[in-house]
Amino acid sequence: MNCSDIAELAPLYIAGELAPRRAAEFDVHLKTCPACMRELEEQARLDGRLREIVLADKTDVARVDRRVRESIAARPEAGTPASAQWPMPRRWAIAAMGIAAGFLVFGLGYYFMLGTRVARVYADAAADHRMEVVEQQPRPAWLVDPAEISALAKQHGIPGSEVLALASEGYHLERGRMCGLDNRAFLHLVYSDGTREFSVYLRLRDAERLPGAIRETVSGKPLRTCDLGSEHIASFETPRVTALVVADGSAEDALHFARLAAAAL
Amino acid sequence: MPHSRSLLRVARRLTSDGAVAEDLVQETLLRAWRSFDQFEAGTNIRAWLFRIMFNAFYAQGRQARSAPVLVSLDAPDRAAEPERPAGLSLIDAAEVNRAFEELSDEHRAVLLLGVVEGFTCQEMADALSLPMGTVMSRLSRGRQALRDRLANGSAKAFRAHAVAGSAHKEA
Repeated sequence: MNCSDIAELAPLYIAGELAPRRAAEFDVHLKTCPACMRELEEQARLDGRLREIVLADKTDVARVDRRVRESIAARPEAGTPASAQWPMPRRWAIAAMGIAAGFLVFGLGYYFMLGTRVARVYADAAADHRMEVVEQQPRPAWLVDPAEISALAKQHGIPGSEVLALASEGYHLERGRMCGLDNRAFLHLVYSDGTREFSVYLRLRDAERLPGAIRETVSGKPLRTCDLGSEHIASFETPRVTALVVADGSAEDALHFARLAAAAL
Repeated sequence: MPHSRSLLRVARRLTSDGAVAEDLVQETLLRAWRSFDQFEAGTNIRAWLFRIMFNAFYAQGRQARSAPVLVSLDAPDRAAEPERPAGLSLIDAAEVNRAFEELSDEHRAVLLLGVVEGFTCQEMADALSLPMGTVMSRLSRGRQALRDRLANGSAKAFRAHAVAGSAHKEA
């Protein structure tokens, strides 16, 4: 792969859509070509700035949603034919149609939400974090001794030093256990800064690539993000491991921890 | 509705007018409502909604849209600004907004979907009814166009700063 290929394929690489073999070739080129790496980092930086600015726009959807509901309620063709309308007072009929439209819009919205594609590994990580960390449902097999957690990591091919390296910058390792995300084994580590808890999911890197668009790069490692309700995920890959960070505070929390983790690993 | 915020955010940046954007999103959701039987279950609902919106947007044509946002040409007091290091990380929002406004509709559309809303190239191709290759090249050119405009803006700002600085010294 040469520099021209990199320029052509960059949109697919950044969006996480490049086939694994091509993505690996892309990575190899980036490691040997500082100019392309700089270019990609600059793109990621500008993307991040643009995203930050546009997402800060005030968008109040309440008025639009209300107008849509009212329009649906006011359209006979959206409901029953006029000849079949119930003989009830006009204001009650309007109120009933409004309520019906509300339910229909809500139902449509829920269907729209379900229709959005979410990578299974992220959905599983968000659900696992909610159950294990936020709701703290009692589960066996949590280890709390860092030495034992490191040993568990080693058993699964993950260097124990990487587990401990994450416990820096004011964060400490609270507990760890193995879990399954998208039918793959991950080491689930929980770190805390005393007030917030973060989940980090690690597995040995293989040919499978993380899905999602690249948000920024840290030490040459592309960072991807995904928000699922109140869970926020930031993910990255090092030459050795695939890592997912999940926070339930804010997207910025997940991103901040992921930046530290990506720099440390 | 879960996607109405994304639709409105993109519509506002496309039309440069809050009221026109709300009308566009309202029209989009009503069209979606009326033609929901045409949506194929299991396909991407978000791309489908945006396709409806872009079709409505392009159908309205430029004449029907509002005038672009007026941006003040009064230069801020740059003499008071600290020196900016090289790179794009500290570019202020006003500069990015101005550069973004200058882009073509096509470039703004792909940047809004791909960069801001996190669409994949395939989703963009679906939403914009374009081949993947066209989406990829538009995205690359859109990114480059934005960078070029920001670089020009920075160069102009630096020249203005330099001129102001030398005038100040002479005084």
